[in-house]
Amino acid sequence: MAVNSELARLLEHPAIWRGTSVARAEVLPSGFAALDERLPGGGWPRSGLIEILVSRLGVGELTLLLPLLAALTSGPQARSCVWVAPPFEPFAPALAAHGVALERVLVVRVPAAQKRLRGGALWAFEQALGSGACDLVMAWAKRPRGKEVRRLQLSAERGRTLGVLFRPSQAAGESSHAALRMTVEPSAYGVRVNLLKSKGGVRGCVEINLLPAGN
Amino acid sequence: MRPRILRKSNARVVSLPTARTSLRSVDTQWEPAESPQLWVGTHILSLKGAATLEKLATRAQRFTPRVSLVAPDGLLLEVKGSLHLFEGVDGLLRAFSQDCEAVGIESTVALAPTPLAAMVAARVGRPFVVTNKAQLVGRLTALPLGPLRWPDDVVARLARMGVRTIGQALRLPRAGFARRFGPAHLRELDRLTGRSADLRHHFQPRERFRRRRELTYEMEDKATILAAFAPLLADLGKFLELRQCGITELECRLRHRHASPSMCVLRLAAPVADVARITELLGERLNALVLPEPVRSCELRSGLPVLRVLSCDSLWQPGEYGSSSGPESPQLVERLRARLGHEAVYGLQMLPGHRPERAWAMCEPVTATRPVDSRRAGASGPTVSGSAGARGVGGRGGPNTVAPGARSLELVPPWAAFRQPLWLLPAPQQLEEIEGVPRRRGTLRFFGDVERIETGWWDGGEIGRDYYTVFDIYGVQLWIFRERADPHRWFLHGVFG
Repeated sequence: MAVNSELARLLEHPAIWRGTSVARAEVLPSGFAALDERLPGGGWPRSGLIEILVSRLGVGELTLLLPLLAALTSGPQARSCVWVAPPFEPFAPALAAHGVALERVLVVRVPAAQKRLRGGALWAFEQALGSGACDLVMAWAKRPRGKEVRRLQLSAERGRTLGVLFRPSQAAGESSHAALRMTVEPSAYGVRVNLLKSKGGVRGCVEINLLPAGN
Repeated sequence: MRPRILRKSNARVVSLPTARTSLRSVDTQWEPAESPQLWVGTHILSLKGAATLEKLATRAQRFTPRVSLVAPDGLLLEVKGSLHLFEGVDGLLRAFSQDCEAVGIESTVALAPTPLAAMVAARVGRPFVVTNKAQLVGRLTALPLGPLRWPDDVVARLARMGVRTIGQALRLPRAGFARRFGPAHLRELDRLTGRSADLRHHFQPRERFRRRRELTYEMEDKATILAAFAPLLADLGKFLELRQCGITELECRLRHRHASPSMCVLRLAAPVADVARITELLGERLNALVLPEPVRSCELRSGLPVLRVLSCDSLWQPGEYGSSSGPESPQLVERLRARLGHEAVYGLQMLPGHRPERAWAMCEPVTATRPVDSRRAGASGPTVSGSAGARGVGGRGGPNTVAPGARSLELVPPWAAFRQPLWLLPAPQQLEEIEGVPRRRGTLRFFGDVERIETGWWDGGEIGRDYYTVFDIYGVQLWIFRERADPHRWFLHGVFG
């Protein structure tokens, strides 16, 4: 009996992984109950790399992350939230209306001259992930290679940062080192999230209603 | 410069004027009152800005290290110890007036044993050279009271008493003078005659670090060039350490055989004195630099040193146990800016107003960790949305009163947030239309209400638009508007994301 409790205590150690269960990791509720059920640990991880694959920009992938953004930026000890090479301008009043603290938001644009050099945005993404100065780093990158994704995942773990990489859904077939991969498609009232890869979580589709109650 | 020897009681204090290490904020005003002094007062008649006065002060340091500025148009030099170097009073005054001419300053000069007397006499403008303290009061008596620059009412009251010169003022009973005109003015008279000490702040030139290194052979490899900078950077580190300063700007110049010098400027978010960090940032900059030719010499020029405020580091790593970001955030911003350019990294800021383009602005990123007001969560932006049917927001009239710093705490229904897109296009993009119906890669499905934004008449940026929410055939929610005025074109302005 004593041995069993000792063993159970040992198995609680975050560095120990077991095939069927999830390693205990700090998570943040996603703000959507249906999604929380499916995500490993019951929410978005605090650190690591997430890949979100979208058929088109703006199908609702950012709305999906808004509760996370608001929660991460509004804490008293919050670190920065960096947007690397966003496709358009983040609209500050709308973000503020959703409770995102704008002082924490940092936008990084990659100048055209740097875009030609490979990895301008990815370099900035990796720097932000590994710096330890950010809680969340979101990047919009065209075609990162498998090796680069691996580096990003390691940087995110080192900096205890959550990295979100938005990619086109054509990349769904490629292998990736990201801890969590999902496609986001529009559906009747919100989005359909398909978890492609989820370390220790459940794969499959989940419908999320993005429209607020009463609308 | 020779060592200055000050006598005080029996102790001999030797101070070397070469060590200009102290900063402006450090007071170097201690002067033994009994040591004989001789001051050159300079009243500047035509002054071209403060920079010129500082230029003269810097030049005047060749006469003496004890130069002090008398704002806004005066300069004082203590020259007792330097007289023999310039062949006496005449030689020194001649050399000094030549310097004034060289800087482009027209001035009057006077010499007196006390700084205030020298200054007052210079303001009077008549030749005034007194080297003996015993003669000072006698020579001062004839001077008018005006150049003392006392308040007008004091001068007027003295004039009503028949007191128009310094001599007459000195003859008044001290107790009565202090009672009537305040002890401050009596003390000023004492300083004028040398009865009490007059302590002056010494002028400290604003130093910058500037050093150049000729390379033994021409270099092309960036890593080698960076290595060639190492001794210069080490010197910079020592320079900053001595002054307890950091720099926020560093210019690095690389000279070539034929082409004009290549330059890169490093701008830092917070004062930095850490050479390793500067080297890292400089390396990033050098990598981005395109060199037309091999480099023959390299040079470093710093901006003005800024006094560094040292802070304690946190015990925990950032992000650990809710630890704050600490100093890492400015480092990240600097590293990103070093490679991507200064404008590439910015923060967001809300502006008052309803025009979507002008409701936000880029701003300098907030790098210091500040506690965020938790009440702010869920607070609304300044934009107000119509709930049912078209509603003229512009009808509210006048600019919104929400200041960007103090954002509105006014709560709006939560759905109001869903009326605004998360993405805004940099500029509205015109949509194709068929018979007045907008299209974008297929038909658009209208959803929800229309919102009218008609405002901005007061500053020339007037807009009149009806905003609609639509879905395109791919299920992307878009924010489009139709011009109120002819030709009623349709534009795409935002993506809900």
